[in-house]
Amino acid sequence: MSSSTRPAWQKRETGLVARMILSFAILGLLYIIFLSVLAYLGLGFVPIAIVASVMILAQWYFSDKIVLWSSGAKLVTRDQFPELHDLVERIVARNNLPKPKIAVIKAHMPNAFATGKGPKSSVVAVTTGLMEILDTLELESVIAHELTHIRNRDVLVLTLASLFSTVAWYLMQFGFYGGLYSGGMGYGGNRSNNSAGAMIIVIAVAMLTWVISFLVIRAISRYREFAADRGSAQMTGKPVKLANALMKISGTMKNIPTKDLRQVEGLNAFFIVPALSGSTIGNLFSTHPPVQKRVEKLMEMEASMG
Amino acid sequence: MNFFRRIRKDASYHINDYTIDSGSLFSLSSAQITLEIKLNLKSTGKAAIGLKNVSGRMFAEMVEEIRNFLDVSKTDSDLSYRVINDAYDYLWIVIQSGKVEDIISGISAVGQTVHDRGFSNQLFVAIFQFRNYNNNKNDHYLVYNFASNKFYPFVPVSKNERDNEIEREIFETILNEMPFERDDSLWYPIWNLTL
Repeated sequence: MSSSTRPAWQKRETGLVARMILSFAILGLLYIIFLSVLAYLGLGFVPIAIVASVMILAQWYFSDKIVLWSSGAKLVTRDQFPELHDLVERIVARNNLPKPKIAVIKAHMPNAFATGKGPKSSVVAVTTGLMEILDTLELESVIAHELTHIRNRDVLVLTLASLFSTVAWYLMQFGFYGGLYSGGMGYGGNRSNNSAGAMIIVIAVAMLTWVISFLVIRAISRYREFAADRGSAQMTGKPVKLANALMKISGTMKNIPTKDLRQVEGLNAFFIVPALSGSTIGNLFSTHPPVQKRVEKLMEMEASMG
Repeated sequence: MNFFRRIRKDASYHINDYTIDSGSLFSLSSAQITLEIKLNLKSTGKAAIGLKNVSGRMFAEMVEEIRNFLDVSKTDSDLSYRVINDAYDYLWIVIQSGKVEDIISGISAVGQTVHDRGFSNQLFVAIFQFRNYNNNKNDHYLVYNFASNKFYPFVPVSKNERDNEIEREIFETILNEMPFERDDSLWYPIWNLTL
């Protein structure tokens, strides 16, 4: 139970997490500084909107590089990881997909991701920890899951989806600053009252849009995860392998006890009420569905295959 | 067989605060067919019911009654049994028969006797042994917990290791056919029990 007995990969990879946070912080800071400078220079709404969309496009264009850098993933050649290359080639050949570039992250934490603008320029990255704890079939199912993300163009879908929320975010900002400037500088009395009221409405609507789109993006993302699970199961024909992989990755596999019932019986283990799991609020904000749900769906598929 | 039918009719009985539905045990008779068709797991014809040992005349008398009952069944059908005590001071009544129904009936009847004698608190688990005769590697068990009235799988591979993958397959295969323990953190193993 104590943290010291947990295997290394279950512990938090602080380096990796820090890198991710840093890269997103830098990105966010860049946006804010740049747009503030533009606003300070007295650029109007339209030019700033153009600049912002160029930045979003640039982010889209460089998304794979950003993700690769922030995760510390290194592209690997066939000579370095021949088995991994073979494995990926087997899946793409069977399913008529272009072969993605393959990257490896040196980390104990078992994880994998796919990135790239389209099927032809995509990258699949896996951690060394993932390769350690999964057997070949399980690794295959995880890579098939990532390949489904690529095939479904999920990066594009989510970028488009977040564009909506980004636009709403900018509207909110402009509404806010607009309100401040017009109020603070005191252009004619009556007009400013009207425009202040309008601004409040704009801000409120933009804020609402942003909040809703934030939740919608997360819902879409969760839905895409289920879709990718399904796609993986179709590619490999073995949903149970992905279910096992998910449980191994999340550490759920460790749930099944190894201590003899006759030893724990005295502790009344059978009457302990299981702790409440994952609140609905938590589910609403997360980008991934709970592992338990994903495993359930995969097992249903496995059962339906008979 | 008639004898067991009679016991079956008496479907549910009460243990302390929780009701035990002997129908749960009998759900195994259809579930084992599914296990054989889908996972190639066949009953070895062996099962056991575990009791926490208690010293004293009453308990000894009860065990004696169970022995007498099983002796009678022995002549009625091809059922055989033996009694073992394990290192944890549990008493196991191991029942063996060619017919799965007879094993289930036997286990159920022993459970009933224990209950009738007021020792339901000592009722532990019943375990049913299966084997994949294609790759005869290790035994597979279904454990029935009397307190929770639920089954769960247990597949030991070595002294202190179990095959979670096959356990989950078993779980998924017969999940809807019998009361199954869905919380896998309660799938406690019963190590080193030779049936």
